[in-house]
Amino acid sequence: MELQLEGIARDFWDGRELRRVLFPLNLSLTPGELTVLAGPSGSGKTTLLSIIGLVLRPSEGRILLDGREVTGLPDDAAATLRLSRFGFVFQQPLLIEGLTVRENLFLAVGIQGGRITAAIRGRAEELFTSLGLQGTGDMLPAMLSGGMKQRVSIARALIRNPAVILCDEPTSSLDAENGQVVMDILKRIAVEEGRLVVVVSHDARVFPYADRLVKLENGRVVADTRPLSEGAEAGA
Amino acid sequence: MRSRVALRLLLHDRSSTAGSLLGVVAIVFLVGQQLSILFGLLNYMSVLVDHSGADVWITSARLRNADAGDLISGRYLERVMGLPEVQWADPLLLANGLVRTADGSFEAVRLVGLRRPRLTGGPWALAAGEGEALLDLEAVAVDRLDLGKFGNPALQRVTEINGRRVRFGAVSSGARAFQGTLVFLSLDKVKEAAATPPGRYSAILVGLKPGVDRERALARLRALLPECGVFSTPELSRRTQLYYLTNTGIGGSFGFSTSIAVLIGVVIITLTMYASVLGRTRDFAVMRALGARRRDVAVVVLCQALMVGAVGIFLGFLCLAAILNATRGSDIPSYMPASVPPLLAGITLLVSLLGSLVALRKALQADPASVFH
Repeated sequence: MELQLEGIARDFWDGRELRRVLFPLNLSLTPGELTVLAGPSGSGKTTLLSIIGLVLRPSEGRILLDGREVTGLPDDAAATLRLSRFGFVFQQPLLIEGLTVRENLFLAVGIQGGRITAAIRGRAEELFTSLGLQGTGDMLPAMLSGGMKQRVSIARALIRNPAVILCDEPTSSLDAENGQVVMDILKRIAVEEGRLVVVVSHDARVFPYADRLVKLENGRVVADTRPLSEGAEAGA
Repeated sequence: MRSRVALRLLLHDRSSTAGSLLGVVAIVFLVGQQLSILFGLLNYMSVLVDHSGADVWITSARLRNADAGDLISGRYLERVMGLPEVQWADPLLLANGLVRTADGSFEAVRLVGLRRPRLTGGPWALAAGEGEALLDLEAVAVDRLDLGKFGNPALQRVTEINGRRVRFGAVSSGARAFQGTLVFLSLDKVKEAAATPPGRYSAILVGLKPGVDRERALARLRALLPECGVFSTPELSRRTQLYYLTNTGIGGSFGFSTSIAVLIGVVIITLTMYASVLGRTRDFAVMRALGARRRDVAVVVLCQALMVGAVGIFLGFLCLAAILNATRGSDIPSYMPASVPPLLAGITLLVSLLGSLVALRKALQADPASVFH
């Protein structure tokens, strides 16, 4: 699935005046790549991620999903599209306390009333295995470590086999070891499973995983590079 | 899944769920208890009419309630018996009296004079003694719960009513009245004790033959006795209850206390559910970000309200049944008509949903963008 942003900009009312936090930018994201949106705090990267995820509407510009404009979708239609095509990994795992790990996964399938089929149950077990979460299905999130919780949130993002995975600082609350595990998983999801993965981060440890690194500063794209291929070319 | 989420959140947020349940239980229990007393009092108001065994009551004209009629002529008895629809007709005489108690003091009572031998309108259930006891001119029957007012006399104990000798011949059960202590005795004794004019009665009770058209029989009686009030028993019962309900402040008083109970319940439900949703705002925002529509969030919150309502109603009715059972047969008037519990349950469920509206509004305000740091 291809995702195109054309002239996307965003303004916020700060109580006194309308302030532009994201200046018009064009970005074309393709599957099979892990794209990192990097930049200092306040650079507009999370705003951009929210717009890509149809959680926030841009003030200007168009969002195209496989060539279909989805910018002005009504609230319910945007929610349905998010549920079917997008997976989210937040800075904090944000699992629902009170639901078991398995139910947290099923939430991302059944929140609009959809049935939890045998296939979904099988998919959950598959994810538990591939993400090293065996035996945690019936546990409550409070019983898990921070790293495990974040892996559960990745499983939740993947349970519906979404084409797009959007991650907001997924390693910032983790130690180095767990951060590396999470990034390895996201990289595998992007490259081996051919998904479109976008990771917002200002953590330099994440950059080596980037197929594409988009740097933002003060709401503007200041660099858009492919460090791995450029590195390979340089090496060649 | 949404209802499962609702249930899981309720089970997890135990303290706020317990608070909401308390609100629902408070509504069912307090309102149910108030209503049971109100219906118990309503029964007291019309107890003589409801248990008379008559189909029709003939009274003085423009009757406001069964206790406030003028005396009517006994000659109407023969005219009524002349109608082919009528199976029987008996007079009833009501008067006030003073009973001398065991310690020599007096107790004001309502005398109910019954014609022997049928004793129509007399005690319909006895706790002690025989029904035939009232065939004796001097015998009286009082309710078991009123015996204490007379010093708990033994059967056959002699006393006085308005200075006339009587004996406690039987003890009735379930014959308590809103208007005062009922004392059943022979019609002749009431005439003597209350010195009522000869040949005049408070009412004529009429029994219709089985299978007759009741409306037609009533119409014929009304045409026959235009100077009298002719009521079917349910009609006179309703009229009497309505009179006391609207003229004594009981209706307003119970209406007020019932409204307060509902209000307290709504406030408890509203506050606890709001607190619960407030603590879950982030979770609702996560659900929205993951793809929940506003209506899905609403389903979760309303499911919670319905679950709390259903469980609270069940617990409330358990408490209510326990208290009604404990007070059954006591001097606390309580009665719950079969039609009231379903109505109360429906209203409580509605109130639970109303109480959840503020929480729902808060939940719907959860911003999916807020989950991005």
